[in-house]
Amino acid sequence: MLGDIGTLVLQGTMISAVYALIAIGFTMIFGVGGTLNLAHGALIMGGAYVFALLSRSVHAAVAFPVTIAVIALLSWGLYQVLVRWVEENVVITFLATVVVAIASTEFVLYQFGGSPIGMTLISGAVNLEPYGINARTRYVQFVGFVVSWLAIGLLWYYITHTDDGRSVLAASMSERGAQLTGVDLHAVRSKTWLIAGALAGTAGVILGSTGGATPLMWLNPLALAFIIVVIGGIGSIKGSVIAAYVIGFLEQFTVTFVGHGFRGILSLVVLVVFLLYMPQGLYGREFAHD
Amino acid sequence: MPNKDNNILGTGRSGKGRVGRRKFLGAAGAGALTTTVAGCLGGGGSDGLTIGHLAPMGNVLGVGSKRTAEMAVEELNEDGGFNGEEAELITKDTRTDPSEAQSVTEELIQQENVDLLVGTFNSETTQSILDLTSEFDVPFMITGSAAPSLITDSVGSDYEQYKNVFRIGPINSDFQAESIADYCAYLNERHDWSRVAFLRDQAEWTTPFGDQIPDLLSERGLELVYEDALSIEGTDFGPVMSDINDSDADFVLRFFAHIDGGDMLTRWQEGQYEFGIEGVHVPGMHPSYNQLYSGAATYETTSQSGAAGVTPITERTQPFVESYAERYQDAEDAPIQAPMYMGFNTYDGISVFKEVVDAMGTTSTRDNLDDFVGEMLDVDFTGVAGQVSFYGEGSEYPHDVQEERGGDDTITNYPVTQWVSETELECVYPEQHRTADHQMPTWMQ
Repeated sequence: MLGDIGTLVLQGTMISAVYALIAIGFTMIFGVGGTLNLAHGALIMGGAYVFALLSRSVHAAVAFPVTIAVIALLSWGLYQVLVRWVEENVVITFLATVVVAIASTEFVLYQFGGSPIGMTLISGAVNLEPYGINARTRYVQFVGFVVSWLAIGLLWYYITHTDDGRSVLAASMSERGAQLTGVDLHAVRSKTWLIAGALAGTAGVILGSTGGATPLMWLNPLALAFIIVVIGGIGSIKGSVIAAYVIGFLEQFTVTFVGHGFRGILSLVVLVVFLLYMPQGLYGREFAHD
Repeated sequence: MPNKDNNILGTGRSGKGRVGRRKFLGAAGAGALTTTVAGCLGGGGSDGLTIGHLAPMGNVLGVGSKRTAEMAVEELNEDGGFNGEEAELITKDTRTDPSEAQSVTEELIQQENVDLLVGTFNSETTQSILDLTSEFDVPFMITGSAAPSLITDSVGSDYEQYKNVFRIGPINSDFQAESIADYCAYLNERHDWSRVAFLRDQAEWTTPFGDQIPDLLSERGLELVYEDALSIEGTDFGPVMSDINDSDADFVLRFFAHIDGGDMLTRWQEGQYEFGIEGVHVPGMHPSYNQLYSGAATYETTSQSGAAGVTPITERTQPFVESYAERYQDAEDAPIQAPMYMGFNTYDGISVFKEVVDAMGTTSTRDNLDDFVGEMLDVDFTGVAGQVSFYGEGSEYPHDVQEERGGDDTITNYPVTQWVSETELECVYPEQHRTADHQMPTWMQ
């Protein structure tokens, strides 16, 4: 029984770390610009494919950071070329990013076909059975966990301890207030897209290395990001991290005690409960100003 | 308090529901129109013999099927034609979307006046066009879907209405279940593997397996130690592997078509789990699958009609695969070495069609449906995936392809292949087609 709990905690922790990576970028963009970036999943997919391509020719340790940089730039470019011109209108932004997501699927289909592509960030696994935990965890999952917390830590430091980061935080609290204190909103939004892109790229590499890349792999992460962000409170990074763990563990509970076919059901029930009774989420702010 | 006024958060501007909605509808309409029109490009009316081919073209399986249809039509046109007539082939992309399938089928029937429809992959798509084909009396040869209900709920329940429907292959899931259970008995005989963990897609096509496999296994002295259906919307294989490991199974019998088993296979190889991975894995039938996953699929098996062309199932199998490879070796898109199972069946379907219209003495199949059905039921054709003949009106599965049985009464036309290296496959079952014995993963030997 103790071993079962150990297994559940380990697997819940591993998957939740990846979920947090998926959701933070999405929530940051919403918090700062009020934009629902539906191309967030496409950027994650981009991370997986770019890494798959790069890792064929260079070592994974080189391909990983390069992929993050490429996706960060792509995300920044998406903001500069498209989103900044339409972000004033929520519906148009919503549609424009959906179109980007769908176009990216078509592009990937055209370029790589519909078959899954596997990739290796790091190979091998550790058998934890001698320690009473029924799991043979892959090294790539440990990497995912470490990278996730590293990213969360860096982001937290950036947001709370640097002027640059504090301007992002200020913009997410109150744009008018931020502007009054001399924050350049456009620059802040550009930076947010860059950071969100880097996080999406990281998530893409981890997802691609665990399950392979396919042209529709962006759908599930996007749906997850939505659920996590609603539960955590729209715009709250802390909320997203906590909600990612809530969802990750809920899923583990469901598959352990109910069955693998019911994996996502409980999360959806929780989502509905939140929407009905706590629409601001765990750490959402009330939008009193403006 | 939530954003009740629909304000654009943080911009200081007020909600604009009306304009937004109108724009939204306009944009959504434009999007819908674009996607609809995209499916309608190409093709024109035709008076001659026209064959309509339906497949999901975003899938290698559909690409392979389209190529074999082209091969068959070209070869048979050169070889005297269909009752002396040259056929024209039109392929339409059904995606895996029933409504898209309906719209392209309607176009093929109404505008292109097709004399034969061949193809369709997932059972939900096939199901969605059965009524359309029967309403217009268009002969329809299923070459990619295995659900028994496609036959039993149509031609099996109202013969007169649905007599235009035939299945060329694969054998239906009821027969597949029996064949797979016999394969499990072979594994038990060979490796002393008696404990089975049974996993499947949570989807329509695996229902017959879910119903039958437990009994079929126990009849053969095998023990079912774990059973679950996995969500096709995304599964984390970590806990799945832990559960299987916990059950002390000798092998996993899994039925995946929607789920890509790559994650499972990588965990299996890296974690060196002590069980085999057997059954049906549609993504794993991709000729380059094991390369795409850098060898993670080595030692996994899958059943597939035609056995990927690695063994002479009939004397026509290997010449067919060689000619396919020669034709498409320089093609940009996979599959280039061999089509996947649907391609074998589509090729056989069009070949059978030629036999039938030659015997009928006319290519007007829609006006002579009873003659067509009569000739089809007389067919005993040596194809590339096996011997093709159909069950008649009174049987349990009318117009379904008959299973072939060997000396010991076990089904032989649902062969099993095993990856033995990144690029090589062997046929491991049944005995009649075997090119190598089934191998245990090295870490278990």
